[in-house]
Amino acid sequence: MAELLKVIFEREGIFLHPSPDEGSPDQDLLVSGSLRIIEKDAEILVEYRPLEDSVDPSNMLCAGQDSSSVVEWGQSAGEKSQSRQLLETQQSYETEWDMVNAVSFKKKNYTNGERSLNHSHERSRWAFSVNISDLKSITVKEEGWTFLILQLKDSSSSIPALHFHQGGSREFLDSLRRFALLTECPEDETRLLVSTPSKALSQSFENLLDDNNFGLVHKFKRDPYVTTLGSFSKVTNYIYDALRGTEEQQQQRPPEEVADLLGEVIPGLEINQQEEPGFEVITRIDLGTRPQVSRAEPVSADEWSKHQDPEGRIENEAALRQRIFKGGLCHAMRREAWKFLLGYYPWTSTLEERKSLQKAKTDEYFRMKLQWKSISEEQERRNSRLRDYKSLIEKDVNRTDRTNRFYEGLNNPGLTLLHDILMTYCMYDFDLGYVQGMSDLLSPILFVMENEVDAFWCFVSFMDQMHQNFEEQMQGMKTQLIQLSTLLRLLDLAFWNYLESQESGYLYFCFRWLLIRFKRELIFSDVLRLWEVMWTELPCQNFHLLVCCAILDSEKQKIMEENYGFNEILKHINELSMKLNIEEILQKAEGIYLQIRSCKDLPHSISSILGFDTQHRVSSQVDSGSRPVQQQDACSNGHCRDNRPQNSCRGVFTS
Amino acid sequence: MTARKSLLKVILLGDGGVGKSSIMNRYVTNKFDAHLFHTIGVEFLNKTLEVDGNQVTLQIWDTAGQERFRSLRTPFYRGSDCCLLTFSVDDNQSFLNLSNWKKEFIYYADVKEPENFPFVVLGNKVDVTERQVSTEEAQMWCQENGDYPYFETSAKDATNVAVAFEEAVHRALAADDKADHLIPTDTVKLHRKPRSATSCCS
Ligand SMILES: Nc1nc2c(ncn2[C@@H]2O[C@H](COP(=O)(O)OP(=O)(O)OP(=O)(O)O)[C@@H](O)[C@H]2O)c(=O)[nH]1
Ligand SMILES: [Mg+2]
Repeated sequence: MAELLKVIFEREGIFLHPSPDEGSPDQDLLVSGSLRIIEKDAEILVEYRPLEDSVDPSNMLCAGQDSSSVVEWGQSAGEKSQSRQLLETQQSYETEWDMVNAVSFKKKNYTNGERSLNHSHERSRWAFSVNISDLKSITVKEEGWTFLILQLKDSSSSIPALHFHQGGSREFLDSLRRFALLTECPEDETRLLVSTPSKALSQSFENLLDDNNFGLVHKFKRDPYVTTLGSFSKVTNYIYDALRGTEEQQQQRPPEEVADLLGEVIPGLEINQQEEPGFEVITRIDLGTRPQVSRAEPVSADEWSKHQDPEGRIENEAALRQRIFKGGLCHAMRREAWKFLLGYYPWTSTLEERKSLQKAKTDEYFRMKLQWKSISEEQERRNSRLRDYKSLIEKDVNRTDRTNRFYEGLNNPGLTLLHDILMTYCMYDFDLGYVQGMSDLLSPILFVMENEVDAFWCFVSFMDQMHQNFEEQMQGMKTQLIQLSTLLRLLDLAFWNYLESQESGYLYFCFRWLLIRFKRELIFSDVLRLWEVMWTELPCQNFHLLVCCAILDSEKQKIMEENYGFNEILKHINELSMKLNIEEILQKAEGIYLQIRSCKDLPHSISSILGFDTQHRVSSQVDSGSRPVQQQDACSNGHCRDNRPQNSCRGVFTS
Repeated sequence: MTARKSLLKVILLGDGGVGKSSIMNRYVTNKFDAHLFHTIGVEFLNKTLEVDGNQVTLQIWDTAGQERFRSLRTPFYRGSDCCLLTFSVDDNQSFLNLSNWKKEFIYYADVKEPENFPFVVLGNKVDVTERQVSTEEAQMWCQENGDYPYFETSAKDATNVAVAFEEAVHRALAADDKADHLIPTDTVKLHRKPRSATSCCS
């Protein structure tokens, strides 16, 4: 078997600033090199290798204030790749980029070439390699750029600080987090304590993979916790001796593997990494077993009417929501119930109030519809935005659910309604206008409402939830992808690692799922079911992300067994469309929810994504800390309790 | 013999609604689905063909045309061996946007020598009678922009679709090994001079 060697993280342009007392002959020497995290023989190593030539600061030109300019390296051909890398990095790491521009390297006048004689000798003395289990802590410092100080458990040795002039420190730490727990030191918030994974972790995915090909799993299976304690300060190959030649440099890079990876590097969505709070510890959680969850029958017309008082108010909204969450609605009830779920009708309104509401909303709708209807051709010629919206809508209406009886055929009135509502929505929200995907969101609503005005206002409510997905910067999409990635990393580190190793850690392939809430993934009637369940806002915030996790959970085995790469993962996920079973997915998603809910040391990032933060606060007010509320959920035999803050009074009654 | 690439990545770019997905489906499945959804995100299909007795897998990438989704589609430009710039002959705006598509591609695909990158231009929907873009106009654009081969296609009635992809394969392979001269085989006829594009690819 070939030697297991895998580059997990690699970045060039990491500098050392050796001080005179570290034996540098030249006090302004900057050593530039590459930093890697590699897995070698099931050990995770952090390695630093200086570049061919250490960078002579007097040769470095700095860009001006203009953030669009590029740092040029007045260096030999060997440096070319580096400035290229800079160009590439520019887009994704704008902020760090700005820092690079702000750095002013001191110019030093010494005779050129003086030091270059000794370069090869000079550089190897700065190389080092350290096993992560020998790391004690990492101190994160800012000085216009980020630099990291790695402290070893063996305090007799030390490593020079790593200066990330070109960014990448966050990525480095993120990569480390995949193998070690980084905890903020209570006394010093700039310091992250390093500990290597515990047994709990390996247990949580032990059953997923028995294949040694997956080096990561392989490593954890060896129960590194014990190993770490045993080898308290076994620093491997620390600080290479000057005499050691370049051979390590060549062998440590598995040529094909890296080339393959690099060839397929797909730069990320410009996800704003800053959103992840500080250096929070997000490595793993110890999840218990996933409870079996059962689904219930859809809410029937009878059941629904039992929840109405004589004047038409909905009584016990919470219980009704709960029922809809567990079973959905029978189709006949949807037209009425969706209006409540979407917030078009207030739950507490009477029949009379709803009638007058509807009347007012009808007037408002037609007022807006008239606005675009009455635009003359000349006006339209001068309004390019409206023209663009209109042409997009026309194109998309012809390509939305055309096999559905409501939209099939050539002159189906359903098509006209779809078109008109989307055009009116442009008038309602001209800034957003029409973005592709919106016709997919409207189609099921219109299908259920069979009424232009009601469909419009329900669509408006749904769009209120989905708005961010469609905005110029697609912030909603980016946020969701990051949140999903965070959840997955915690729920299933092994799978997340696998995806990450296939350049898929940012979960691009979930884009369509998230943009239009699984509209294209499920058969039409299942879309209706999923959406009404989501609209109950139960059992937690962002439940749709757990739905994603549930689907991924069902696919991970295939993806990993078949060793799918970036492209195949995308293809596989795309091709799941119309093959998914909604009831199974909902069961699993709720199961995952219960699992997370009963987890004791939930990282903050997870509780805030799922909205547990607010709930926790409320529930701890209610039952003063005796028994963790979450446990009740977990053992409630699939009967999930309502955790929304406004219903916390239920806790008072039951306790 | 020099080892040729056995996987070619071809990407379809162009305004929303010009027929990129329809062209891809026509070529790969030989079907035209009038009920096709507009594309969200990115998709790709593989098609295996034989060139000079060698198996070549054509990986055809299809993207969503709308401006808003640029940041999603552009990462996938990298590593393309050929780019099919697509417009619809019944939509002048989609023709005018060709240069933008070309620019976007070159920028994000990180093409080493843009002058030598193989582009193929497709004017789709030739079956439609109300044309807004004439053959001459389109050929002119191709000539002026780098002597690109131009094909007038119809995904609906299959006109020129296969021919256009074959030209794309040809171009991609030619760019891959310029020295090696391509001899068309029986399996794939690599038309150097398609009927509808006599003036632009000599
Ligand atoms: N008459 C005719 N119609 C076509 C042809 N090709 C595509 N269409 C139609 O044009 C519309 C758009 O086709 P698509 O293939 O969805 O276009 P697209 O370029 O993939 O669009 P986006 O996915 O939005 O970027 C559909 O309604 C097709 O049925 C063609 O050759 N002739
Ligand atoms: Mg398409």
